[in-house]
Amino acid sequence: MKFRNDLHDIIQYLKIDDSAKENIIHWETIEAKEARTSLLPADISPLLREALQKRGINELYTHQKTAYESVEKGDSIVAVTPTASGKTLCYNLPVLQEIIKDPKARALYMFPTKALAQDQKSEINELIQEAGLNINSYTYDGDTPANIRQKVRKAGHIVITNPDMLHSAILPHHTKWVSLFENLKFVVIDELHIYRGVFGSHVANVIRRLRRICQYYGSDPIFICTSATIANPLELAEHLTEKKMKLIDNNGAPSGRKHFIFYNPPIVNKPLNIRRSATLETRWLAGEFLKNKIQTIVFARSRVRVEILLTYLQELVKHKLGPKAIRGYRGGYLPTERREIEKGLRSGEIYGVVSTNALELGVDIGQLQVCIMNGYPGTIASSWQQAGRAGRRHGEAVVIMVASSSPLDQYIIQHPDYFFARSPETARINPDNLIILIDHLKCAAYELPFNKGERFGNAEVEEILEYLTEERILHQNGERWYWMNDAFPAHNISLRSASQENVVIIDQSDVANVRVIGEMDTFSAMTLLHEEAIYLHQGIQYQVEMLDWEEKKAFVREVSVDYFTDANLAVQLNVLEEDKLRSLGSTVLGYGDVSVRAMATIFKKIKFETHENIGSGPIYLPEEELHTNSAWISLKRELYEFGDDRLEQGLIGAAQALKHIVPLFVMCDPQDVHVVPQVKATHNEQPTIFFYDRYPGGIGLSEKVYHLMEDILAEAKRMVGGCSCQSGCPSCIGTDTSAETAKKDVLKMIDLFTKAG
Amino acid sequence: MSLKNKLNRLKPHLSPSTGMKNSPENAIKPALKEKQEIPFMDVWEKENVTPYYFDDHYCLVRKVVYPLTHKHGNYTFTEALEAVLRWNDSKVQHPLSAVGHSPEELFFFDTETTGLGGGAGNTIFLLGHARLTRDGVILTQHLLPHPGAEIALYQSFLESVNYRTLVTYNGKAFDWPQVKTRHTLVREHVPKLPSFGHFDLYHAARRMWKHKMERMKLSAVEKEVLGFERLDDIPGYLAPMIYFDFLERKHPEGLLGVLKHNELDILSLITLYTHLSFQLLGLDEGRTIRETYEVGRWFSYIGESEKAKETFLNIADGDGSEAMAAMVALAAEYKRNKDYGRALPLWKSASENGTDLQKLESLLELAKYFEHREKEYLLAASYSEKAYRLLSALNREKAKKLEVDLEKRLMRLKRKMKHQ
Repeated sequence: MKFRNDLHDIIQYLKIDDSAKENIIHWETIEAKEARTSLLPADISPLLREALQKRGINELYTHQKTAYESVEKGDSIVAVTPTASGKTLCYNLPVLQEIIKDPKARALYMFPTKALAQDQKSEINELIQEAGLNINSYTYDGDTPANIRQKVRKAGHIVITNPDMLHSAILPHHTKWVSLFENLKFVVIDELHIYRGVFGSHVANVIRRLRRICQYYGSDPIFICTSATIANPLELAEHLTEKKMKLIDNNGAPSGRKHFIFYNPPIVNKPLNIRRSATLETRWLAGEFLKNKIQTIVFARSRVRVEILLTYLQELVKHKLGPKAIRGYRGGYLPTERREIEKGLRSGEIYGVVSTNALELGVDIGQLQVCIMNGYPGTIASSWQQAGRAGRRHGEAVVIMVASSSPLDQYIIQHPDYFFARSPETARINPDNLIILIDHLKCAAYELPFNKGERFGNAEVEEILEYLTEERILHQNGERWYWMNDAFPAHNISLRSASQENVVIIDQSDVANVRVIGEMDTFSAMTLLHEEAIYLHQGIQYQVEMLDWEEKKAFVREVSVDYFTDANLAVQLNVLEEDKLRSLGSTVLGYGDVSVRAMATIFKKIKFETHENIGSGPIYLPEEELHTNSAWISLKRELYEFGDDRLEQGLIGAAQALKHIVPLFVMCDPQDVHVVPQVKATHNEQPTIFFYDRYPGGIGLSEKVYHLMEDILAEAKRMVGGCSCQSGCPSCIGTDTSAETAKKDVLKMIDLFTKAG
Repeated sequence: MSLKNKLNRLKPHLSPSTGMKNSPENAIKPALKEKQEIPFMDVWEKENVTPYYFDDHYCLVRKVVYPLTHKHGNYTFTEALEAVLRWNDSKVQHPLSAVGHSPEELFFFDTETTGLGGGAGNTIFLLGHARLTRDGVILTQHLLPHPGAEIALYQSFLESVNYRTLVTYNGKAFDWPQVKTRHTLVREHVPKLPSFGHFDLYHAARRMWKHKMERMKLSAVEKEVLGFERLDDIPGYLAPMIYFDFLERKHPEGLLGVLKHNELDILSLITLYTHLSFQLLGLDEGRTIRETYEVGRWFSYIGESEKAKETFLNIADGDGSEAMAAMVALAAEYKRNKDYGRALPLWKSASENGTDLQKLESLLELAKYFEHREKEYLLAASYSEKAYRLLSALNREKAKKLEVDLEKRLMRLKRKMKHQ
């Protein structure tokens, strides 16, 4: 490439250069959008008005204005706010205005992470200082020193915290927070879209507890939520808070012209359908921009990828820009280090940053010119969040998505229409999942006794209270249920872990510094943490040296090997209850409760790239049982055109393809929904594919699958049919099927599933 | 599917049951509605327990009076009275001093709760307290007969409190905050909590006996220090279980053990306060050298310099390790009073005969003294160098810091010598 000096030149180059052009699958230009603004509200305090004007804010964007007016009227709102649209004013403005009017008023801000809470504290404090207001805003989290905690509890107008802290430190000690709860006017929930799946279901119950305590102290706060673009922000907000919400989506923030480029690395091995590494391509692309001093952010999916890309890029430009011009950013960095990087990006001293999705959230780093995603980020919503990092309000910006060879990446990159036309994923929660509900009911009973006839949010709980009384956790006296146990229930309940009894993963690489690096539910641990398994954590490879199943501990050591392990799980699935049934041509669709009995049998060592099987071994673990929700599809008629063997191969291949497609429709990680084929399902003796929620009791994912089954099947067919391989590859139907006819059979099978009549 | 079925199916996934295993014969009986029907009242009455009614609820109150001649551990309660009077006669300032208080104004207080740690759901089911009067020790316990009777419990408790200072064992961190927590939940129905002083003897015990005891549980202090040993005592950690069992069966038998346990805790508080007072006031002839040293350090810490010196002087002329420690501490007191004439020989002696740490500390003091007071830079440098050689006696972090300090000092001394 010859020397160029601005973004425009590089855009032109990408358009005309042959070697780049052939890898660019799609080029979407999103035109610039003008700002839509409105005057500052007339009733706003002069102090606030002046402070805003001093910061150059003379008008509000339309969504900020609507948010202000709605909250002033007493409505709870959810504002959809893309990256860098000035969302903080949506809540800071009405909250500060109210506290100026009534100095007793209190607000509780909830952010998903401590880092975000810190950020927001600085931001709101700047505004408070500018206005010369006597308003105290504090963060309250694990880092808050003991000596100022009391001050926060008594005198904090605005308390900034996270859901975990609310769950385990604030609500169980509500008697120390009387002045907060008596006067709580606002609850702000930022990054609403993060609260989905198991985590969201937990948080919904934490909010039930919060509202119950507010009611006890006589307050009924307004909820102000902000969310990234997802398919159902209003539904999620109402489900999470159980309050009537107003949707605000008239985003008035301006944006510049944006080029969204889909980049697919070239195929290097035709028969195996293997492409050049996405990381190598990302390096090259990012290097081109950085060499020309164009501010660029690179998103990578794991910490290890971040470090690899960072080393390379720093090397590449160290003479030109100096070693500090390109930085990494991920969890595990110290807060001060993060602040320094954020500041450097805003001021322009730092040209490039390589980040995990940590920078997807609302941390303020200003606007960069280029964003490169090393692989599809996993959801459409998150792709748009990351893309939002590039794009100044004026001038052009470039977003490049570089696909990896995973089936989902390949599907997305080859169907740009799908990506651009489709609304982002639906976020699902199920606050009434029994396991989660019972956990929080215990916490709630600990906080305040339950009265007969009392509901917990929208849930009826009398039967559960009776159950807990039988279990001798509660004590019923007259019309009330009291906590009567010596435990502190919130301590045993983690909002972020999948299941109650988890296997703890212990890294013993450094004998002097043995540490816990994570945990995993027992069901997944059978196939991912058996002895000799290669366990990937944040992109680092570990080998499991010992699995103590009784004690639920896996001891691992860091290794560097060129293979991964894949365990076989013998699954027996029984339908316990059919809740819903419908027909679709020759197919029956069902949804209901299932029992999954699984036993890990053997594992294989599979070489990267070639996928050769280079060894195997047995796994000795007891059978595990899981009760959950499942959707399924069964063929009504016998399939005469298939022999048993081909039927089985076809089902396995179809299940594999479907597994990759499901996350496109339901906002979840691929491992949250398991897809299991059965040649002869026990409940109806038909060939069946099951989709079940990994979390005991289900969190609503498989129910969504039941409703969207036709679409999921259609997309699976498009994915397999559109794959350029001959007879199946890792990018479509997986490698578990070896038959030549497998791919053809999978397509036929999906046809059968969808064929009417 | 019915919820019951679902619950049973999901049972293995539910968190490891925190409850006790259920057995059919323990099924819950409906609670009593009529206020006059207090189950097993005959048993209660034998234990001096009477009901206290408030609104529609009641709690149970047990009262016991001990004569002043009663001996609990090494002391009689008459001696406890004496301790309070002796504080009033003494001019010494001390956080445990009862000066200005009559004996009746001390309130020896302890609770039993349904759980460990703080939190809104940890219920106090027993509030026990004792007061020293001229007619004897009056011990009162307020018992929660079932949850839901807390208004009666706190009403009864708050009516009987008329005190100036709480005496507790770890009550600053646990009992009193928990009382505040539970009181908050019924605050609209009962009187306010009064404000008061607070002697937390747990912290006092740690100061005095940390050197010889690993765990500072009250029962351990009783045994090791107070000369009191419990027979057939119910361990405190069982109290919640016993209370839960009582709620179901209503029979007092198990709970009587918990009441006894609480009673002994409170009596031990009186004896512990007596013992600590006698030690602090120098009235305990059995005070060991080490205890004397700790008393001195305590006075020194609170700035009672005269009393600290007096205490250290008692033991500084001995020849044990405590004597040397007392000497160093005494020197620090003299230094504080700018009485260098007395401090100097002590430092010199300790810098020759003390442990490495004591030598180091004394050498540093000598170096400072000769540099700043006497301007004898050569001498100061020589002490500094001696100290330098002893740095290995410290842990790494402290040694590093001190090393830097000493290097600076030596540089400065060199410079000063040049200019002299």
